[in-house]
Amino acid sequence: MSGTVSSPLTTHVLNTADGAPAARLALSLHRLEATTKIWSLITVGTTNSDGRCPGLISKAGFTPGTYKLRFETGEYWDSLGQTSFYPYVEVVFTIKESDQKFHIPLLMSRFSYSTYRGS
Amino acid sequence: MSAQRLQQLKGHILPEDKVTPMAGPVSPLSTHVLNVALGIPGSNMSLSLYHQDASSDIWSLVTTGITNADGRCPGLITRELFTSGVYKLRFETQQYWESVGETSFYPYVEIVFTIQDPGQKYHIPLLMSRFSYSTYRGS
Repeated sequence: MSGTVSSPLTTHVLNTADGAPAARLALSLHRLEATTKIWSLITVGTTNSDGRCPGLISKAGFTPGTYKLRFETGEYWDSLGQTSFYPYVEVVFTIKESDQKFHIPLLMSRFSYSTYRGS
Repeated sequence: MSAQRLQQLKGHILPEDKVTPMAGPVSPLSTHVLNVALGIPGSNMSLSLYHQDASSDIWSLVTTGITNADGRCPGLITRELFTSGVYKLRFETQQYWESVGETSFYPYVEIVFTIQDPGQKYHIPLLMSRFSYSTYRGS
């Protein structure tokens, strides 16, 4: 454990078809630059065996704005030898109070997905 | 009576929202927006359908529309235009919630999906509240 403060933004990817965490799923966090409206990449990661990806962003880096979590779901299902209806999933959200904790899970099967704002 | 409920009742009484456009057969791709926070259709929501060019990866706009009183948007695409490939449905969720005086966690929702067999029917609903949403491939 590096002893750093945990990220104020977390995610959890669940394979609801198999009732298991989605491990080894690639994902990335982006922020929309307010003036240029261009997305810039903040972090790239891969979910661990529990479907989580610690260390998405630091408290200092987590400013109010519009963010996007992109989940490489198509690649994930491919790696299990299956097809999927969605090549990837992007969840775009607005952070107003960056001192709160935000948990953005993705519950997914090959033909459906859901997400919610947790804490 | 709330504005939402009045809108719903209008949709039952006035025929325009319920009549399928005379333009032609039913679109092979349909959607349905549901406001699961209030248990009502998500009506008057703007949405747009895009198709991704297979070689350039560029998105081009196919249709824009607004959901009717039942949260549906008939006539998204014709059978002729509906080829296999990658499509995107974009829902203007923040605009919708603002129009009912609320904020939303999501400025918009984009659902990207792959059509391998355009001969089938595809139903892509959006079930949403201010802080959550879900979708699935229906028929």
